[in-house]
Amino acid sequence: MRKLLKHDTWIKPYLTKYKVLLFWVFFLGVLTFGCGIGLMFVAGYLISRSATHPYNILIVYVPVILTRAFGIGRPVFKYLERINSHNWVLKVTSALRKRLYTTLESSALFLSEKFQTGDLLGVLADDIDHLENLYLRTIFPTIVAYITGIVIIVALGIISWPYAIFMFVAFAIVLFFVPLASVAMRGASKEYQKSLLHQSYENLTDSTLGIADWMISGREKGFISHVRKNDPKIAKSNDKTHLFEWNREFLIKVVFAIIIIGTLLWSNLYFKGSQELVNYAAAFVMGIFPLMDAFVPVSQALEEWPMYSDSVVHLNQLSDEEKHPYVTDEKLPTPAEFQSIKLDHVTFHYQDDKNDIIKDVSFKIDKHHKLAIIGPSGVGKTTLLQLLTGALVPTSGHVLINNVDAYKLGSDSYKWFSVLDQSPFLFDTSVLNNVRIGNETATDEDVKKAIKAVGLSDYIESLPKGYDTNVKENGIRFSGGQRQRIALARILLQNNPIVLLDEPTVGLDPITENNLIKTISRVLRDKTVIWVTHHLQGLDEMNEVIFLENGVIKMEGNPKELYKNNARYRRLYAMDVGE
Amino acid sequence: MFDKQLLSIPGVKKLIAKLSVLAIVQSIAIILEAVFLSQAMVLTWEQKKIAALTIPVLSFFVAFALRYLITRIENQITDKFASQASSQLKEQLLQKEFELGPAMVSNIGSGHMVTLALEGIDKVENYLNLILQKTINLAIIPWTILLYSFFVNWLSAVVMLLVFPVIILFMVILGLAAQAKSDRQYSGFKEMSNNFIDSMRGLKTLKLFGLSKRYGDNIYRVSENYRKSTMSVLKVALLSTFALDFFTTMSIAIVAVLLGVKLINGTVTLLPALIILILCPDYFLPVRDYGNDYHATLDGKNAMIDIHHILDLPSPTSQIKLHGFQNWTADSTLKVSDLNFSYDQKEDNISDANFNLKGFVNVGIVGRSGSGKSTLLNLLGGWLSPTNENGHLPFEVNGQKIDSLAQPEWQKHISYIPQDPYIFAGTIAQNIAFYKPDADMDAINAAIEKAGLERFVNSLPDKAATKIGEGGRGISGGQAQRIALARTLLDTQRTILLLDEPTAHLDIETEYQLKQTMVPIFKDHLVIFATHRLHWMNEMDYILVMEDGKIVEQGTQSELTKQNGAYKRLISEIRGDDNA
Repeated sequence: MRKLLKHDTWIKPYLTKYKVLLFWVFFLGVLTFGCGIGLMFVAGYLISRSATHPYNILIVYVPVILTRAFGIGRPVFKYLERINSHNWVLKVTSALRKRLYTTLESSALFLSEKFQTGDLLGVLADDIDHLENLYLRTIFPTIVAYITGIVIIVALGIISWPYAIFMFVAFAIVLFFVPLASVAMRGASKEYQKSLLHQSYENLTDSTLGIADWMISGREKGFISHVRKNDPKIAKSNDKTHLFEWNREFLIKVVFAIIIIGTLLWSNLYFKGSQELVNYAAAFVMGIFPLMDAFVPVSQALEEWPMYSDSVVHLNQLSDEEKHPYVTDEKLPTPAEFQSIKLDHVTFHYQDDKNDIIKDVSFKIDKHHKLAIIGPSGVGKTTLLQLLTGALVPTSGHVLINNVDAYKLGSDSYKWFSVLDQSPFLFDTSVLNNVRIGNETATDEDVKKAIKAVGLSDYIESLPKGYDTNVKENGIRFSGGQRQRIALARILLQNNPIVLLDEPTVGLDPITENNLIKTISRVLRDKTVIWVTHHLQGLDEMNEVIFLENGVIKMEGNPKELYKNNARYRRLYAMDVGE
Repeated sequence: MFDKQLLSIPGVKKLIAKLSVLAIVQSIAIILEAVFLSQAMVLTWEQKKIAALTIPVLSFFVAFALRYLITRIENQITDKFASQASSQLKEQLLQKEFELGPAMVSNIGSGHMVTLALEGIDKVENYLNLILQKTINLAIIPWTILLYSFFVNWLSAVVMLLVFPVIILFMVILGLAAQAKSDRQYSGFKEMSNNFIDSMRGLKTLKLFGLSKRYGDNIYRVSENYRKSTMSVLKVALLSTFALDFFTTMSIAIVAVLLGVKLINGTVTLLPALIILILCPDYFLPVRDYGNDYHATLDGKNAMIDIHHILDLPSPTSQIKLHGFQNWTADSTLKVSDLNFSYDQKEDNISDANFNLKGFVNVGIVGRSGSGKSTLLNLLGGWLSPTNENGHLPFEVNGQKIDSLAQPEWQKHISYIPQDPYIFAGTIAQNIAFYKPDADMDAINAAIEKAGLERFVNSLPDKAATKIGEGGRGISGGQAQRIALARTLLDTQRTILLLDEPTAHLDIETEYQLKQTMVPIFKDHLVIFATHRLHWMNEMDYILVMEDGKIVEQGTQSELTKQNGAYKRLISEIRGDDNA
């Protein structure tokens, strides 16, 4: 935990943010417990003093007022503390959200690769929510309990040294040693439980998707025992944790019994000889009870730390990977001057992987030319596209745009390349706004023209809300083919010289696919197009086709000539069109 | 929040009885703890020697320890019950999932199903853990303490009694007010978090259009608006805790002052006064506990309702059992007459389907997306039951009329190969032996060879013992298809082969190679093959053409090509001949 916090940049810095508000949170928290203790303390004194039969109620006037004051103070301060702590946390979360966004923004173009498995973006969003709970449920109660403990020890130190030392030891057990043991215990079992749970999750998800197979296999018992494989282990580990927790709670209570007895005995010895002083005996004993409310939850709170630590680790790792765009003083070409893209003996492998994904690949695309790249999934087609846009830098060789290395275009690359991939992202807003993302200065007329070009205007105009129709989350208002067309319109509006198509028709049925391919070829006639695909259909208008296999070019040429001269190409082509 | 459904869980009544006894003992311990501690305090107040405290102090310790020991025991027995009950519920839910099959599960939502079986069950367990203990404590402890308080000092007891309904009343009123507001707030939260996730998912797009930098401020603004609206809700929602706290502490303060006055008058002595003062917070403790866990229990209750909703769904079944069906052979027949299926979504309907199959025929099903290919396949696999009315029996297997193919007799002769075949975390051999877990290695190796997996398997250091699936070696789409094929080949009892777009997402080369392996296997199987990829039709003996849930054409490929009808239209559309 200490190591994690030492390099942390996601929790600590924010504790110094909004300092005044944070001070109030702690102050009010301590006051709340102070009032709780005060109420019982004064009540104990009030009763003891009254039992000495003072001749007048006015003698106990001050304690009477104080009981009421503490009685009102406790709920009021608690209320205010909770309001302020939530306010502080939500303020910090707003800042954290922005921070998370900006951090991811710097490496946005790699996201799809890094975040392929699972909805990691969703996980990160959840991490922020976890931090919210970390503050409210772990950090704040712990700090408030510690401050309360320190204040009490200092106050007792003024009254009586031996008693203060006794209480210090007791507090140390309850606030320090027991919570520490809890964290250690929980930390050890957490990893184990988490991996078991993760396995169960994967297992059940797979089996649920394969339920047809399970059903026809007729093995009902096999199914249940397969998906419940980990359950006994999880249950056993849970039992262990629970047992520890129950015993811990009980132990803390016993410590409190000792504190109460110690206080009683101390007061018996210390106040002896003066009726005025001995009235305070009950006060001290009664004052212990509310302390339980403050101190008992600390172990519970700290025990939750291992659950949050993952979120803290995720977020901190993220900042380490921050990317900074290439900056240069060289004079760079503008998109209008685009002439050609050239790959000159390009080889590439990722830093953490020795295997070359791209091996010595060379080709050249001139302005307005069209190139198709074909090959099974996982052969580095997407990596190749990232090399082209300069998002990745070749391990050896050069990707040259007009004789300038592609990566040097840096943060300007969005002015050169347009990308249409498998699942273009549509924002939860109107069709008009989604297309306008291509060029924010475009007029409504321009936007509508682009939509007309991709063949969607008739359909959209037939909708009750027309161009203002909301596409809904992930664009589900529209079909797969329509979503691609909306994204295509966006690209037309962006009007960049080079368009990269990264398998845009995957997952569409063949009829929709065909129509989309026709539209794409029609509207991108004046562009330089690089098209990654795994079908041959629709390639007739390409100037060149490259077959990529294991990072090497296996076959290349003009599709019409390949069809004429290459038997393998002809065979695949025939199958693709279903002849 | 206490649900009547709880009482039907086996063993619950016994647990309630145990918990009630424990709660009574605990209340007595609480009272004794107060009494002995008060005695000790009175002795101190009277300035007695420390030795005089021995007995009350020790007795206090025992009572105090007993009180919390009981809590610990209660936790343990409740936990045992809760984990048993939730484990049983999980078993039932999984059994139900198995019975419902793919069509129904995908209707419920696979993700929802998985979440319910894991997180949902956990929530139920938590709910069971909290609800019984807290409810019983609330039902017993305050009232025992109150009863005792009446004997000690009736006036204080009256104050305590009067405050109780006031607390409940305020909690309900404020709780309702906060609920109404927080419902609205919840939609606000969804909006905010959607905006956040939306921007994160769309980050790449924003970046590609050079807009990403500016968007950060937008996120901050939306999040801050959310904070402001949340705070306005919290101000109300937290009032209910405030009310609880306020009345509790105020009643302690009132009791203290009341007792003080009585002590001065001499109508009460110190001992009973101290006892009441110690008992007062304990009297309110159970209701505070109950209030604190309200939301956690609400989650569990909702999960339990969701689970029971699924358990109550009807599974696809057949009324008339298939007799003496050994295996599909060269002479077997399947007659389908006026087969109907309808569901609430119009898309998935099948109306009046008729066709006859005999022996090892290879049947292709073609049609646009949403024309009912998958539904027909689901009916033939017995994962859906027909919705024919008036006792019409749409299937006839070897001359026996039946209402549905949802029966083990039929299903144990089927194998099924979808776009993404089921691969689980295990070795290649285990995956292949899925239908026949007791198959020997020789048979598995033979299946590997026939399915064209030999080269791949031999290239692996651990051969067929290589782990695949989650946490194992990754395999390509083509290899997954071959494993599914090997699975079929291993179990000679499975001669009916249902294929649902098995090659749609494969690249053309992989598909070509896979086809070379598959076609020979088709020869001695009844093959029903739904696909968009037209080249497969060359290998099919018979073709069903579907449109809007109806079979609009059927026959051999050459017949259909000659007819110049639906099949011809479909082909030219798929090839894109009709220059759009």
